[in-house]
Amino acid sequence: MSVPRPGRRPARQDCRLPAQPGELLDRARPLSFTWDGRRYDGYCGDTIASALAASGVRIFSRSFKYHRPRGILTASALDPGCTVQVGDEPNVRAAGRQVSEGMDVRPQNVWPSLAHDVGSANRLVGRFLTAGFYYKTFIKPQRLWPTYERVLGTFAPGGRVSGTSKPGYYDQRYAHPDVVVAGSGPAGLGAALSAAETGAQVLLVEEEYDLGGSLRWGGAAELAQLLALRAAVDAAPTIEMLRNSVVAGRYDDNWISILQRGLPHVEERLIKARAKVLVVAPGLIERPYVFAGNDLPGVMLGTAVRRLINLYAVRPGTRAVVLSANPEGDAAVADLQRAGVEIAAVLDARRGEDLRRAVGGTGVKAAELADGRRIDCDLVVTSIGWTAATSLLNMAGDRPWYDASAARFRPSDDLPPGVLATGGLVGDGSTDELLAHGRAVGAAAAARAGFGQAEVPGPLAVRMHPALFRASTHGIIDYSEDVSSKDILAAAAEGYDSSELVKRYTTATMGPSQGKLETVNTVAVLAEATGKRIDELGTTVWRPPYAPISLGALAGRIHEPVRHSPMQSWHEAYGAVPLVAGAWIRPDHYGDPQAEARNVREGVGIIDVTPLGKLDLRGPDVSKLLNLVYVNRWSKLEVGSVRYGVMCAEDGVVMDDGVTGRLDAQRYLMSTTSSGAAAVWEHLEGWLQTEHPDWQVHINPLTTYYASINVAGPRSRELLARVTEGVDLSPEAFPYMRVRTGRIAGVDECLMWRIGFTGELSYELHVPASYGLHVWNALLERGADLAAAAFGVEAQRILRLEKGHLIVAQDTDGLTKAYEAGLGSLVKLDKDDFVGRPELVWQQELGEARRLVSLQPVDGSVVPPEASQIVRENTILGRITSSRRSPTLGRSICLGIVDVSVAEPGSMLTVLLPDGRRIQAAVQPQLAHVDPEGGRLRV
Amino acid sequence: MFQIPCGHCGLRNVAEFRHAGEQRRRPDPQTATPEQWRGYLYTQVNEAGWTRETWYHRAGCRRFVSVQRHTVTNEIRPVDTGAPPSAAALQAGADAGAPDAGAPDAGGAAS
Amino acid sequence: MPARQASARYSAFGLLRRGLTRGEWPAAWRHHDLAPAYDVIIIGAGVHGLATAYYLAERHGIPNVAVLDKAYVGGGGSGRNTAIIRSNYLTPDGVRFYDRSVKLYESLAAELNFNVMFSQRGHLTLAHNDGSLRTMRWRAEVNKLEGVDSEVIGPEDIKALVPYMDVSPEARYPIMGALYHPPGGTIRHDAVNWGYARTADAHGVQIHQNTEVTGIDVDGGRVHGVQTNRGPVSAPVVVNCTAGWASLVSGLAGLRLPISTHPLQAAVTEPVKMFLRTVVVSGTLHVYVSQTDRGELVFGASTDPYPSYSMRGSLEFTEELAGHVLALMPSIAKLRLLRQWAGLCDMTPDFSPIMGITPVEGFLLDVGWGTYGFKAGPAAGEAMAELIATGKTPDIIAAFDLARFAEGRLVGEKGAAAVGH
Repeated sequence: MSVPRPGRRPARQDCRLPAQPGELLDRARPLSFTWDGRRYDGYCGDTIASALAASGVRIFSRSFKYHRPRGILTASALDPGCTVQVGDEPNVRAAGRQVSEGMDVRPQNVWPSLAHDVGSANRLVGRFLTAGFYYKTFIKPQRLWPTYERVLGTFAPGGRVSGTSKPGYYDQRYAHPDVVVAGSGPAGLGAALSAAETGAQVLLVEEEYDLGGSLRWGGAAELAQLLALRAAVDAAPTIEMLRNSVVAGRYDDNWISILQRGLPHVEERLIKARAKVLVVAPGLIERPYVFAGNDLPGVMLGTAVRRLINLYAVRPGTRAVVLSANPEGDAAVADLQRAGVEIAAVLDARRGEDLRRAVGGTGVKAAELADGRRIDCDLVVTSIGWTAATSLLNMAGDRPWYDASAARFRPSDDLPPGVLATGGLVGDGSTDELLAHGRAVGAAAAARAGFGQAEVPGPLAVRMHPALFRASTHGIIDYSEDVSSKDILAAAAEGYDSSELVKRYTTATMGPSQGKLETVNTVAVLAEATGKRIDELGTTVWRPPYAPISLGALAGRIHEPVRHSPMQSWHEAYGAVPLVAGAWIRPDHYGDPQAEARNVREGVGIIDVTPLGKLDLRGPDVSKLLNLVYVNRWSKLEVGSVRYGVMCAEDGVVMDDGVTGRLDAQRYLMSTTSSGAAAVWEHLEGWLQTEHPDWQVHINPLTTYYASINVAGPRSRELLARVTEGVDLSPEAFPYMRVRTGRIAGVDECLMWRIGFTGELSYELHVPASYGLHVWNALLERGADLAAAAFGVEAQRILRLEKGHLIVAQDTDGLTKAYEAGLGSLVKLDKDDFVGRPELVWQQELGEARRLVSLQPVDGSVVPPEASQIVRENTILGRITSSRRSPTLGRSICLGIVDVSVAEPGSMLTVLLPDGRRIQAAVQPQLAHVDPEGGRLRV
Repeated sequence: MFQIPCGHCGLRNVAEFRHAGEQRRRPDPQTATPEQWRGYLYTQVNEAGWTRETWYHRAGCRRFVSVQRHTVTNEIRPVDTGAPPSAAALQAGADAGAPDAGAPDAGGAAS
Repeated sequence: MPARQASARYSAFGLLRRGLTRGEWPAAWRHHDLAPAYDVIIIGAGVHGLATAYYLAERHGIPNVAVLDKAYVGGGGSGRNTAIIRSNYLTPDGVRFYDRSVKLYESLAAELNFNVMFSQRGHLTLAHNDGSLRTMRWRAEVNKLEGVDSEVIGPEDIKALVPYMDVSPEARYPIMGALYHPPGGTIRHDAVNWGYARTADAHGVQIHQNTEVTGIDVDGGRVHGVQTNRGPVSAPVVVNCTAGWASLVSGLAGLRLPISTHPLQAAVTEPVKMFLRTVVVSGTLHVYVSQTDRGELVFGASTDPYPSYSMRGSLEFTEELAGHVLALMPSIAKLRLLRQWAGLCDMTPDFSPIMGITPVEGFLLDVGWGTYGFKAGPAAGEAMAELIATGKTPDIIAAFDLARFAEGRLVGEKGAAAVGH
């Protein structure tokens, strides 16, 4: 960012007209800004482009391919040549964005400067850079393509994003209006007012800074009418007016996206509105004319000069040639005269008069007419026709049709019930006619939203308009993409002869204005090339959004919630290294996971297992449900007992595992994996609701109702006894795989499960969540002399691996069925039915192809990284699914899934490490590396 | 963002629901041949038009809802018959239930 | 018509000469009347159908082929995908197959005399948790065994490749590493379609646009031809190379497939100067992104979460996409999304295609391409052409047969999908 050169005076506003009624400028509030490092002045209310134009700036950018100088064409947000960099914001529409004090505005796509651009050399070779030229060259040698590509890449258009910009504040809003009106020209204003009169809530959305559309550059009568309408809108209590905002998209069931700009302290806001009715009234877009030199600075549309003169008090030139085919063009002539522009010639296209070319280097110097005259001028104005902005209707499923008499596409009569159109989209008319049509449509919209009664009016009459697309010469069709009419002809000759193919081949209509200026001219020239009619070819489909939306606005405030257990403050205070596990953030370890694991094997440790899924199951039919969803048997589970269960999906693939306990005759608590909690709940509900609605089972998720703590280690009973009341912890009274309820550290209704994922004597405590931290602290305090210490997920993983306990979705994958996972002994095929049974029957009959086994590398100092492949030569026989150094055994240990042919205990397998080394590892006789008999669990 | 009429909660955004699948009949697990069973697991009608399907109101009442949907326009009609949706929901539930499961590392987003 | 005259050859010299003489290039492919019979009918003029036709004519001397499309060349998935090419799959079958495709793509421009702009700029698949990192390593190891260049790299190396990436450990989804696949990259998808179409045409293949297949003639368990909106055509071999409509077209032959059709949405931003050279994929965040030579960022995501044939697109897709892109590259919030669109993906239960013979003799499938069809085009076309010409299923596609579903032999690409979390 450079500072304006001090001492240098700002450019004078030589082209600024005296104050006039209707102008948008606040002459009492002058401001200054910089353009390309130089200071310029303007007024509050100026767009960037109008302020620069007032100071005589004619060139705003260089074109994409040929680096031709480009100036103002439409003087609206669509203006393709007025795309600039503002600070760290690329691709700002200079003719649509108001300028503000101190703004740092720079040209894009120029090097080294706007005036002396090296890329403009491309103009000299333009005849070789025809449509699709890049498909036809740089083919050989192929190895040079990356080099060509880098060079071509430097010609990419557009501004710059920075790698260090701080993301601003964006937010979103939900709205439920009865009626959304897109556009505030006379028809849109009429629609909003009449809908509001019925009491309907109306959201009136205007893309520009002020309401009124074309009324704003009409005469005194229109301005007076506009003032009255604005006053009525201001007075209507149920109209919410959004200016500098745009209806960007219409999605299924009238889900409407609206981009709101210009808010204090908010960069941009995305409004998501569920509208009962959408009234589409964006008006007409003036269509450029295709002729030689039509992109020279100084060639403008009629609406552009009317905007510049009437809204911004800018004289667009000094001597003009005007081509007019409609009353709006004639009005532009009058405006030009009033602004003191000399009218060198007016060509009336309705009488067959025509332009041939605009002549000049960096701006228009003369116009050549079809009759051969050459007229010196610095401004060429065309008013040759209109494009209906049907984009929002397209998004609602409408396919517009071509009306040759009006020379424009129009919407069909077959809009979905929640969408209505008015204004220039549906026809032509005087201000009063447009207003009346808008009012009738607004009343109909309100009626459809449940307010009053009104029928949808027929379309407005359509004025005959001559069909003018291209002069006798060739010119630019797509200004952003630098595509000329000649390119379209060439593409058609090469067989790219449909609307879609010609778009893809030439890239016409693919630039920033997305075809709003270019589509119809493209189709018209294609029609010329192919001998087809415009209505036969049709247009390409307009895609959302209607106007570009920043990523920031779409993202809004980023809400990515995380889940913490009630013990999180302790974990943070004691230096836990966080582990991201889905939505949960858990302690991975507290500094030394190997020591944490040893402490469990030798003494006692506690781990926060709150994320474990917990489901409360109640009712007389719970055991039926358990029998259905688990592969093992549940009918005989006694009250006070727990059992390990494995769930498969209907394809027999292991989907979850966990322990379920019977607390009461009709009450069970099921635990699931942490990541599977939501899916298992849904799975159970699915079977209950859709297949067995007669079963009486109620499911209640308790995952975060409880804080869960596993107390593990040979001294866990001793520790627990110190804090527990009312439960006999002796091995006889509370043996392995039982559940008890009691008071822990003064907290009632705590559940205690005697289970052992770690392979040690251990108790899983589920305590009411608000007491989680209290119980956690009590365990540590009372166990201080036992060296009771917290351990994290990493230590737990080490311990469970030593014990050979699998983790679903780590030691199994998306195709692993129960037998392959070594869980065959649990599968009870003698049950009549359970989820996935048929596949397991067949797997059991045919034998599994792979099997989960324990492995120990011969060299116990090598820990093969998980996912290391088990190979014979270069054939894959399996992979390591889990591996760690075992602190208990002082060596590396693994689980792996391998081909059954090598799964026998004692098989010596080759493991290929990621670094390329091959090591030997032996298949173990059982999955557990430590305490295979389970003695430590059962003490 | 089309809407689905939930019998319990009213008209709600589709984002609150999970698509649980086409409705179909679960073969008798005792007698089904592998071909029949795998037809039930994998084969889809995949209609381009009106289809009868089950949605799970995950961010609402947690009920499975039966609807007719036009798969081209996403128009929805409630199913008024008393017939419960069937097990189609279940396989899908196992595959795509967890918010973090589904597509990640090989399928969906890895294009 | 014989092969095109030599002067139609694309080259810088040709451009220069036509620039000077202002001569026109001949049509890339021609229009034809529909003949009553062909040796082979291919349904779908996307990359799969066109490549199959090209290899039939060029490799196997079977040019009497009609490629029928209800719309225009490359208008379906082949023109709607995000044009990412890679071979870093999980299973040896997948890796081998896609590696063949990458190899064919590498020489495709020269072979077709059409610059398809294959840009092997490198492909990063980010891992945001240890499970995902494990899957990346799994893929890397399988890739290396199959001779495919892939490796797991850490956050510093990622930052070096993508300077705008937030690799800080404080990120909500911290980047723990990535699978880096240097031969992966992007291609100009339309150019591939057009290049195949043009060269197939030159070899005598007939491409019929706006020709919709309305019926498939099956009698006595074998196919005899098709009905179209332009009349009946007979052929002993009919190949379904459609995407999005694969189950409907197969239904015309009486076949029901394990396919569920989902929209896949994509979007593109306004152009900005190049800042992202590498293709970046995050499975956890359901997003992939690359920057085109024109400066636009091209985004894709996972398929829509319900089956549909709608290609209208949704707002929530763009919202989620933007949030996740900004999670990766927070500084580009001011970049604007310009256009969104959708294509249709035929998803199979095991994230792998369905290729080869069917119970209807002569009716062949090259379908079920999910989100990974474009990158497979050349290898699929080559294998399908070989199958048609020799009557034998090539080894490289043997794992992808239709019968695997009834026989319970699903392909393990699904394995990675379920191991992610």
